[in-house]
Amino acid sequence: MNFDAWQSELSGMLRDPENDFLKNAVAAGKVPVGYTCSYVPQVILSVEGLVPVRMRAPGAAGTEIADIYLSNVTCSYARSLLEYAMDGLYDFLGGWVFASGCDHIRRLLDNLSYLTKPGFTHMLDVPHRQGAEALAWYEGELAALCAELSAAFGVDTGRTALARAILRYNDFNRKVKAIGDRRKETYPPISGTEFQRILIASLSGGRERMTDVLDQMVEELLIRPGIQTYRARLMVVGGNLDDTAFIQVLESTGGIVVADRYCTGSIPGMELIDETADPLKAVATYTLGQTACPRMMEDFETRLKAILQIRKDFDADGVVIENLKFCDIWGIESALLIQGLRDAGVPVLKLERDYRLGGEGQLRTRIQAFIESMGK
Amino acid sequence: MNRKRVQDKSEKPSAVGLIGDLLIYARYSLVNWLKIILLVIKHGPFDTIRDIRRYPWILVLLQVNRLLWRFIRGRRGRYRIATAMVMADIVASVIRMMDDVFFRGELLVIHEDMIPPEIIRAMGLVPFMAELMGILMPMIRPHSVEVYIDACENAGIPPDICSLPKSTMGLTLKGHLPPALAIITSNLPCDGGMSSYALIEKELRLPTVRLDIPYRFTDEKAVDYFTREMKRLVTWLETHTPGRMNWDRLKEICEERNRMAAYEMELWDLIRIRPSPMAGEPVWLSHMWNFNVTPGSADGTRTFKRIVAMGKKNLEEGVSTIGEQYRALLWNPPTIHFIDIYNWAEKAYGISLIMDSMTFHRIDPIETDSPESMLRGLAKTIMAGPMARHTRGPAENYLNDIFHITKHFDIDMIWVAGHIGCKNTQALNGMLRELCRKEEIPLLIIHYDLSDPRIVSREGIIEQIDHFMENIMKAKRL
Repeated sequence: MNFDAWQSELSGMLRDPENDFLKNAVAAGKVPVGYTCSYVPQVILSVEGLVPVRMRAPGAAGTEIADIYLSNVTCSYARSLLEYAMDGLYDFLGGWVFASGCDHIRRLLDNLSYLTKPGFTHMLDVPHRQGAEALAWYEGELAALCAELSAAFGVDTGRTALARAILRYNDFNRKVKAIGDRRKETYPPISGTEFQRILIASLSGGRERMTDVLDQMVEELLIRPGIQTYRARLMVVGGNLDDTAFIQVLESTGGIVVADRYCTGSIPGMELIDETADPLKAVATYTLGQTACPRMMEDFETRLKAILQIRKDFDADGVVIENLKFCDIWGIESALLIQGLRDAGVPVLKLERDYRLGGEGQLRTRIQAFIESMGK
Repeated sequence: MNRKRVQDKSEKPSAVGLIGDLLIYARYSLVNWLKIILLVIKHGPFDTIRDIRRYPWILVLLQVNRLLWRFIRGRRGRYRIATAMVMADIVASVIRMMDDVFFRGELLVIHEDMIPPEIIRAMGLVPFMAELMGILMPMIRPHSVEVYIDACENAGIPPDICSLPKSTMGLTLKGHLPPALAIITSNLPCDGGMSSYALIEKELRLPTVRLDIPYRFTDEKAVDYFTREMKRLVTWLETHTPGRMNWDRLKEICEERNRMAAYEMELWDLIRIRPSPMAGEPVWLSHMWNFNVTPGSADGTRTFKRIVAMGKKNLEEGVSTIGEQYRALLWNPPTIHFIDIYNWAEKAYGISLIMDSMTFHRIDPIETDSPESMLRGLAKTIMAGPMARHTRGPAENYLNDIFHITKHFDIDMIWVAGHIGCKNTQALNGMLRELCRKEEIPLLIIHYDLSDPRIVSREGIIEQIDHFMENIMKAKRL
């Protein structure tokens, strides 16, 4: 299958929460385990016998039932997941692993446990700061998660099994990073939408399969002509964004998304886990240190500097901050980022959005206006 | 369940009684105003005017005595005196706070409302609770923080964020916080509150320390972790401020707090009895103020002691606070721009809002044998704080407390102050509604905004209560 055929295949597959990757994994005797936050290390859920699934609600149409429980002021991502869970669309999952990342996801677990009583749930208690104490705490939390996964699913989560999972994880990241870095070129051979499709597929249970085809993609992209028709290079910053249609809308108005610094993007996220250190400690250090979420209390300046550096590395003309409505963490962070980026002379547009893509016309108009405001 | 019921021997007020009640008001009001006037004289009228222009909230706080009438109106005898005493404590404490800002400003440390001031005081520093303005100002003048909320939203902060952190951020953005040495904050009580300090730190450019409270705080591992966080706080303050820890002073503060807590336990035993011999502000406001703003103060202990004595006397004489028809639990922080809701409910329907989520802070006494044990005790106190365990912990913390209180205090109905900005607790209303149906406890969820009466006014809140009382409780206004 060539690159375009893969893209078409992925596009169709990602419309279904229980996609072919997962069906094949289950057929091979693996247990899909859902998770909702980057502070749940994907690599731990990738040990042999498990498949990590970053929870999505593709095509979510409404959240009428979830609104009754979570209220309509909870973020629409959490509500959409609850709605899907109540519709039985996640019944294929063996369990859920949550992180105490934000209020909304914590309350999702509370309501999910009350309403659907999943067979396995685990909450990772993630510190809100960095440092040796916090790291030791988090490592302890990961050890407890490993023990529970092992007890619940009979999988090996020991040091050796984890070290093997790290090698596979790094292998995938190296390959994706090689593709992602091509976006630094003046005429990138891959659009933001196409790149995001690869990432979302990997997060939706397709990581192992995608690892096999990435080499071929890298090869193909070497000869694929670069995209020259764009008007502005954009960097997207924000929280959970797993709908390629959103990026597609941004790109339909003449933008090209060259950098993706959001929860389900590749920056950060495609760095490598230390293969020489103790596996659990390495995973803890990596996850706590690399995940640049504003729920960490002390790191605003670090996050701002990182965005400015990434913008420079990828030569982005402007930054689009997207955040889900009702997210307090990103709501405040984005106000501060706008100020910080403007102070640094970076054009910035904030888009507050719902999990489900809506108001495409409005969105297009705003993006067009933003691109024009940059003189592009 | 230990339900005690006593006969209510409260009588209709006589003319002498009414005059006595009037004198109580006159006495406390006069003394409170005198304290305020003395502060203005001490600070100097010109300096006071200058500072009012610089910090307009001072003008609102100087009107704190307005609360006295709102709280004691219609109350009689010892209940009236107890309420007035609590108000007198608050006036005195607000005066002390302003005195500190005026005269000890060089030692001021801004702290978030979940950080208890005991450590700050024991280190010889002056605590300034940033959120207190957002709490106290709408209590005194309901519309007074709107200017701060608007300033915050105009700076790009989403309007759906809780109006309390928005008020605090607005104060900061308008430059109305006094100069300070440092900021102490934490990941409590919610995402909005926690994140607001990113803006506050950026605006004030002060050294900032943040305490990290784990999610599953009840296990010993979490207590160990947070105790180390408390130690980090002490070391940090010693590095970044002139404050030095005086462990003997901390011991005094903790012991005084323990004494106050012991009296409060006695008070809680009293209010389990129907009809209640004490209720309202002597229960909730005394807790809110003395345990959160001025813990470890001898004045607080004395007030609690006197409230308990008056409650016992009422019990002996068979006198209840009001003609108690119903007992309700008020859940979530009270409706602060309609703060006389307790008094209103008593008069409108004979409802005693006997317990509330902010008051129900069950803690063991702080062990004062060593610095370690004191820090551990304080760590547990913070972690078990209402806004901590209810908003940062799992749902069972929230729901179990509600149903425990309902049984323990023989509650007839639950009123949830459903603050629209509190997404955390809004997300539990669905579960709560179903569990209340199962337990056959009438539930009212009041839709409103904590600090912004433009969202739902006092009248709007009353209308919701009226509908509930009429349709669910089948009760008529008294």
